[in-house]
Amino acid sequence: MKKFDSIYFALLGTATLACGLADLIVTISRDVYTFRIVEFPSEMFRGGWGGLVVTFAGLFYLSGFKNVSETHQLSKVVMGSILIWLIAGCDLLAMITESIPGGENGWFNTMSGFVGTYAPPYTPAMILLPFSMVAILCIYRTKGS
Amino acid sequence: MRLTADERWNLIDEISKETVFLGEYDETLRDVLGEVTVKPLTGIPVVIAVLYAFWSIFGSFAGFFTDGFFVKIFDEHWLPWWQSHFPDTWSWLYYIVVGDPMADNCFEAFGMLTSGLFIAIGVVLPAVFIFYLMLTLLEDVGYLPRLAVLMDTVLHKIGLHGYAIVPTILALGCNVPGVAATRILETRKERFVMMTLLAIFVPCGAQLGIMNDVIPDTMGLVLLYLIAGYLITGFVLNKIIPGKSPEILMDVPPFQTPLLSNLALKIWMRMKGFFTSAIPYVLLGVLVVNVLYLAGFIQWLGNVLSPVFVYWFGVPEETAGPLIAAFLRKDLAVAQLSVIEMTWYQMVTAVVLVSIYFPCLATFMMLLKEGRKELLGSLVVLIAAVTIFGGLLHLIGILAGVA
Repeated sequence: MKKFDSIYFALLGTATLACGLADLIVTISRDVYTFRIVEFPSEMFRGGWGGLVVTFAGLFYLSGFKNVSETHQLSKVVMGSILIWLIAGCDLLAMITESIPGGENGWFNTMSGFVGTYAPPYTPAMILLPFSMVAILCIYRTKGS
Repeated sequence: MRLTADERWNLIDEISKETVFLGEYDETLRDVLGEVTVKPLTGIPVVIAVLYAFWSIFGSFAGFFTDGFFVKIFDEHWLPWWQSHFPDTWSWLYYIVVGDPMADNCFEAFGMLTSGLFIAIGVVLPAVFIFYLMLTLLEDVGYLPRLAVLMDTVLHKIGLHGYAIVPTILALGCNVPGVAATRILETRKERFVMMTLLAIFVPCGAQLGIMNDVIPDTMGLVLLYLIAGYLITGFVLNKIIPGKSPEILMDVPPFQTPLLSNLALKIWMRMKGFFTSAIPYVLLGVLVVNVLYLAGFIQWLGNVLSPVFVYWFGVPEETAGPLIAAFLRKDLAVAQLSVIEMTWYQMVTAVVLVSIYFPCLATFMMLLKEGRKELLGSLVVLIAAVTIFGGLLHLIGILAGVA
């Protein structure tokens, strides 16, 4: 199980780091890049600052993936996940606040407009969000032992 | 009975042997996470992430209410109602209360009950609310002392210690509690440096809210200039002001789950201040500026200060009006700037100037309460900072080919 955890977080860390770096590169190139359901924002705030945080999350995972059951190592993995939750949570909040007002068409958005806001593409942090939740499982497992 | 130092230490050893029992303690995940947020190598990335979340939530929440609903309420219903119901369209009273009769939005109308209420309720209220909510959350979770530890080294370079981050962050909500919070600093030098920096370089939540609405694309640049000004002026003040900046020991509490009742109480206490002081000041600000416009004073002042504005700061002479309004409310002044025709860089310079040129009336009174000498000193630094910093911004713009 320990070995599986280590491999999982090593892979997640590599993917997260790659996403963060891609975010930064896309921001420097100033052109939004979409790959299937992932969209790398090019604006300075979400792409640049947000990309930097995703990069840090990747580094946290990579520094903590060995011997995850040990508290200090687990704390790094958890911190990596917390950073992903922060970024993805902010992206999700931005989606929600965008989906409700109707803009020029009225007070509130139409049903199709509302649902349409939640359709892909998503930011890298939102894609990484479900995978980062595994850290919660590790916390409970460590508590149990 | 008098004891020597050695005897005293021996006595302490004996008492502690009898009373202190050492057991084994397993560090919990919460303890280790607390450590991670304090060590610079891991703590700084966390600060960067927390600040990102802070501004992202601030922008999403304030934008949701302001752009999503309040702009519509005020521009499509409130303003037309006043324009069609207020008698005598071309009278001076109409100009003061409703503003420009040809305006089709509340930013341009600039009447007391149109722009004044729109700025106070439609723009600033959501921004101030979410700012205080986030600040209170960080405070109650136990993150602020960790931020203080992390900032200690940087703040020592400007003659302050880590706890100076508390008044700075409080001032980002409103400068008045920020100035009051400088009392936690120990020496006169520290308090003076902190108050001066707050009054000049720290924009309040209301101002941030209106900047987020009026200049969302260049707000980052404005903040960058203000942070640079904060650090450079602090560094210079630390070198020239005599006095000590002692080291302190900080107690870092463990992370904890905030209590909802505490959160609600703190936010209410902070918001009460906004309702009782900010809204009347915004309305008063619009009234004073409109009366000064009608009396021709702003036009006169613009003409007198024109060489300084145009040649030294590189901004249009019309910015004289907003600078007067800024003495009452800085958020109001930024809103006024938004309707003056200028380039994006002139707008950045003008917003920075409005931020640093003078503390608003409420902060001014608070500085006066802290001491006349301190206030006078702060004003001297302020005049020097505005002149040098304003000229420097213009120079940077010229060198970059954007001014």
